[in-house]
Parts: sequence; C-alpha cells; structure tokens
Amino acid sequence: MKNAKVFISVLLMCGLLFLSSFPASRGPLSLIRIPKAADFPARLLSRLQIDVRQELESCLLALVDREDIALLRRNGVRFSILARNAAKRDILVVRTDSPDALAALRSAGKAIAVEPETAVFWTETGSPSEAVPAGLPRKVLSSRTVRVDLRPAATASRPAPQAVAQDPLIDMIVDLVSTSNLSSGVQSLQDFQTRYASTSNCEAAGQYIYNAFSGLGLDDVRFAPFTFSGSYSSRNVVAEKTGETYPGDIVIICAHYDSTSPSASRLTLAPGADDNASGTAAVIEAARILALYPLDFTIRFIAFSAEEWGLYGSRAYAAAASLAGDRIVGVINLDMIAYANAMPEDLQVIVNAASGWLADRFLDAASSYGPLGATKTVNASFVYSDHAPFWDGGYPALLAIEDDPLNNPYYHKTTDTLDKLNLEFFTSATRASVGLLAELAQPLREGYPMTPVGLAAKPVVYSALFSALKAVRVTWSAQADAAGYNVYRTNSSHLDYVKINDSPVVGTMYTDADVRPDLPYYYVVTAVGAAGLESNRSREAVAAPDVSPATAALRTLSLPALGGGR
Amino acid sequence: MNAGRRVAVFLAVLGLAAAARAQELSVSLAAGSFRASEEAYRGIYGPSVPFSADLWLKLKGHFGIGAGFAKLSDKGKAVPIGEDGAEYPVKFSRTSIPVIVFYQFDLKAVDIRLGAGLCAHRYEETWETVDLGFKGNKVSPRFFAAATVALLSRLSLFGSATYDTIPTGAGSPLVTDVNLGGLQFLGGISFRIF
Repeated sequence: MKNAKVFISVLLMCGLLFLSSFPASRGPLSLIRIPKAADFPARLLSRLQIDVRQELESCLLALVDREDIALLRRNGVRFSILARNAAKRDILVVRTDSPDALAALRSAGKAIAVEPETAVFWTETGSPSEAVPAGLPRKVLSSRTVRVDLRPAATASRPAPQAVAQDPLIDMIVDLVSTSNLSSGVQSLQDFQTRYASTSNCEAAGQYIYNAFSGLGLDDVRFAPFTFSGSYSSRNVVAEKTGETYPGDIVIICAHYDSTSPSASRLTLAPGADDNASGTAAVIEAARILALYPLDFTIRFIAFSAEEWGLYGSRAYAAAASLAGDRIVGVINLDMIAYANAMPEDLQVIVNAASGWLADRFLDAASSYGPLGATKTVNASFVYSDHAPFWDGGYPALLAIEDDPLNNPYYHKTTDTLDKLNLEFFTSATRASVGLLAELAQPLREGYPMTPVGLAAKPVVYSALFSALKAVRVTWSAQADAAGYNVYRTNSSHLDYVKINDSPVVGTMYTDADVRPDLPYYYVVTAVGAAGLESNRSREAVAAPDVSPATAALRTLSLPALGGGR
Repeated sequence: MNAGRRVAVFLAVLGLAAAARAQELSVSLAAGSFRASEEAYRGIYGPSVPFSADLWLKLKGHFGIGAGFAKLSDKGKAVPIGEDGAEYPVKFSRTSIPVIVFYQFDLKAVDIRLGAGLCAHRYEETWETVDLGFKGNKVSPRFFAAATVALLSRLSLFGSATYDTIPTGAGSPLVTDVNLGGLQFLGGISFRIF
C-alpha cells in the first residue's frame, strides 16, 4: 500500500514535469480595435510589440493574445475586442459608405463597423472575399505587422500646387504618351471578356501583359505567383528598368489588371475597361516610354492581380518587399483613371499622412505635364486599392483615381467598356503619372555631370562652455567630372528643396549650421561640371539634429579623447 | 544693485575703515598660469595666462586687505559632439575684482600672506564665426596665498597662488553646470607706496 502511494506520487510528479516542459499557451488571437484618440499611444504600442495589422484614419486593428490584452490593460490603453479566434480567419476591411452597404454586408457574414464608413468582415465558413456583396471595396488585413505612422497628419499638407518650371526633357518624355496606345491597351484587356482573378482568362491577361513588357527592352520581366483566399492562385507581372546610379532605390508604378462584375457574371464577363484596364494600359505605356531612357533610379512596372478579391496580389508583393528590405522611394498606383462624367475632370490623389509629399509632387506634375487638375486627400482609411499594402509596409504610396466617391455608373458592371471612357482625361492622367515617374526616376542627360552618390547627413553638435551650435554634416563621394557641388535642403521629404550653398562647394563635405533641433532636415546634392551644367539630384539623406542630455553627459566623460583647445 | 557694484561698495567701506589703521600700502603687478578645474574648459581653451593688478593695505598688527583687478582671455575651438567636421573658433574672457582679507607672517626678507575673500567675476564666451554667445556675472569665494621677497627698499618680487570656485549654474550639451574656477599661479613685482 505504501509502495503504491510512492509510485503514484512519482507518477504525478513526472506528469507535472512533462506538462511544464511545453511552452505556456498565450491563448487564441483576438482582433481588437484601438482608437486613435488625442492620447493615442502609438509609441507605447510599438514598445509593447503589439501586432497592428491595419491602420485607419481613426483607429488601429491589431491581433493580440491574452498576454497582450493584460499588457494593454496594465498600460491603460483603451480598446475593444472585435473577434476572437481571429488568426484562423481571413478578415477583410470593407468600405461601407451607406447604411445599406453595412446592412448588405451584415446579411453576408459577420460585420462590425469600426469607423463611420469602414467595417471589418469575416465569414464562419468559405471565402469572405466571395461573400462580400459586389461593389463594396475591400482589403484583406495585412499578413504582417504594419508600420504605424507616428507623424501628425498636419505634416502632409501644402496649400496649392507649386508653379514648377517644366523640365524640357520630362516634357519630351510625356509627349510620347500616345492616346491610341492607351486606347488599344484597354481594348486588348477588355477583349479577355473577364479578368476576374481565379479564371483562366485572368491568367491569359497576365500573359498578355508579360508579353507586352517583354517586347519593350526592359531589364527584367517576371511573373510573381501567389496564392489567395484558400486554394486560389494568380500572378503579378513585374517588369524592371534598372537604375544606373541607384539600382537599389525603386520607384513603382502599378495598377491591378484583374476585374470584376456582379457575382452572376464575373466568371464570364467583366470587361473592366475603367477598372482597371485603364491603369494597366497606362503602366504599360509608361514602361514603353521610359524603357528608352537611362535612369538614375530603378523603376518597377507592376500589374497586380486579385485586387478585387481584397488586394491579395499587392499584399503578397509588398510583404515580400518589406521582408527583403527593399528601398522603395514611392509608389504610384493607378486605379480607374479614364472615366470623366464631365470635363474638366479632376484626378483624386489619395495618400496617408506619411505619403503627403508624393501627392504634392503628383499635383505639381499634373499641373505641369497633364495638364490636369488634381486634388489631394489625406485619408488613411482609404485602403481599397493596391497602394494600401505599401502603406502597411511603411512605404510612401499614392492612389490616383478619377473620383472619390466614385460616380462611374458602370463601375463593377458588365458595361464598363472602352466606349464609356474619356480618352482626353485618360491621356492627361497618364501624362501626369509618367511625368512624376520620370521626375522621381531621373533620366540621365548627355553631357551633364554624373549624379552624386554616397550621400550621408549626420547631426553634429559643436559645443563651447555655455552654448552649442547644432549642425548637420553632409558628405558625399568625390566625382571625377565635378568641378563643385550644390547642396539642397528641405524640411519635407522630397519636396521644395532650396539650395543652401552660395557658390559650388569644393570638396565632399558641407556643414549646415543653420538648423533647428526640433526639425528633420532632408538633403540632396548635385554635381556642377566645369561648363556649369548641373547633374540630377542624389538620393535623399535625412538628419534630425538632436542631442539628448544623456548623450551629452556620456560625451563629456570622453572629452579628453576629443582633443580640442589650441 | 548688481554683484560688481555690491563688491565696489563693500570695498570702499572696508578701505575707509581700514585707512585709519593703515601701516603699509603696496601695489603688485603679476601674470601667470591658470588651470581650470573644469575639464571641458581645459578641452576647449587649454591652459590660460591671466594678468592681475592688486592693491595691498597692511593694517596695524598682522592683518590686511587686498583688492584688485584680473583679466583672463582665451581662444579655442568648439568641441564637436559626434563626428568631427568643421571648426568653430570660440573665445572666452573673464574679468575679476577680488577683495581679500589676509594674515601676514613677517619673516626676515620674506613676507607670507594667507587669506580668503570674495571675488566678483564678469565672463563672456563668444563664437567668432556664428552668432552665438553667452555673458554672465558671479560672486564667488577665493582662497589665497602669497609671498613677497624684498629686492630693493620699495621693490619686491611677488608670487601668489589662488583658488576659486565659480559655479555658474549655466552650461551646454558638453557640461551641465560650468565651474569657471581653478588654480592660478602668478608671479610679478610689488611696489611699496608707504
């Protein structure tokens, strides 16, 4: 009897030891909504490593486990739980800009409003993308943690397009945009009858785009396959014109080539002329033109698939780019750029706060090269096209679209055909897009000095006993064909550079002592040749001069090593 | 009333009170070396050469009063925090008016004085190429030792060591509360008026 007790005790202890060898379960993942109130704790969320999967204008959506929930509560973060066991589901963000839309969504599955015009949606079984009523734009939650923009929205605004001097070379480039090419491109894509992702016609349309890119003399053309919504697969088509000065810095122009129409017809007829053969034809036209020019920066021309299902193609691409650490300068996403209910028609340019500069540059280009009126809207909740996954990855991206809210009566219908498009507006929108693309990628000019490389900007503080000079030291690599260099500066990335040196700098360093400690400073450098011709601008370098007391204290300790004195 | 004016009034009152008991009045001129106690100061300006002119009033007995004027000027370079790049020359000057009470040991050919007092300082640091600078005033304690060796009937060799501590309460990223004090050694001549 005594032996039996000992035996049972040993058995129990072994059992406990065995169980404790498994990692503690953190419980199922829940989807929560965190409001972006005035006391929005963005930095705290980053510090707590909360897995934010979607940023919207007024809230964040995050996947959290029991431990995260306890952590958020301990830190006083307000949130509400939207769905439990969320990791097992494909959850969509759906635009519900009317009570009818929300009601229709609720009849199709589980829908919870998270903003006045935004709901999250999922179904217990089957693909939620297929369950969403036709006509409601949707985006699947990011597959990775998104980068939350910590900047205040105010940094993104500029009052009006600048009167930019037109660059004759860019003028020449945009003049190559051909209305007949755009028109025939739309016709060719429309001729596939449907391009609904998952159909063989869509794959054939992808092959057509691949062939179109392949005939242009670009440096690389490839398919980028991906799977979506369970068992479906499709292919993005990616073409590249590699930059000669900065091959690793990429400017993207993209559009989705898949289409849709009401569920009864989409497998057989979804011409999608405006949505989005127009954007795709513009991307192919941009590739045709810019393939002819050597460039400083790399351009990728991308036709995405499965956008209409919830941006699956661009989500796969942007996630891979983010994972690979790609340096993406900016993304121009063209989606529905050819329908005008009345002329003159403005193009809407939609960005998040961090991409504000890109919209401002687009507005300048539209004014200079369209010519075209364009309106900038900063709205992080407009996540219903292929720019949004790039926002998730922290990349600057814009959406160019004819109207928001849409007023194309043929949208997502079998009647969205070429004859409904306004080719004048379509051509102007493409000219503006190609103009901005060329400005960002910088065509090389014969007889001009090479574009400077190796730019770095480092904050440095020069301190005396009672006062300190906060400065930025800008350095770059020496160039054989440069007689001097010009240094340009701005407080808004990629926007409104101002030359800060009086005469060309001899040497490869410039100290900018006219800086404020509370502002970021962005620099570019150009090379000036012996004949006075000025090169393209270098890649941008940023510096935020700030020396914390802790840094200063540490530095004081190592003062003898610095020398100084007379 | 600012610190300099307070010291001047204090000096005048003390002088008048002491004049009645004056036994000996001498004046000294000296120059020497100043080693700042602040490491940052030494890093920027290195060793300094101060100049000083003082009036010494010995009273009946062994006590006396000293007062004077001292000037220190320095040039140096701002210290870069981060990587070095450009050079920014800076200059510093300090004017001091000390008032000292001392005790004098009269030996054969040597007199030794030990004392303490207050010193009013006006200091200024300016950047030569950018529009930056700082001015300040401070009254602080001074500790003092000096010796005179008679050469002729009225002329003596003069040497002194003084220690000041001058916490300014001001600073920069380099040092949070600058102390302008330090140890100063001066050598010169002293002339006895009566």
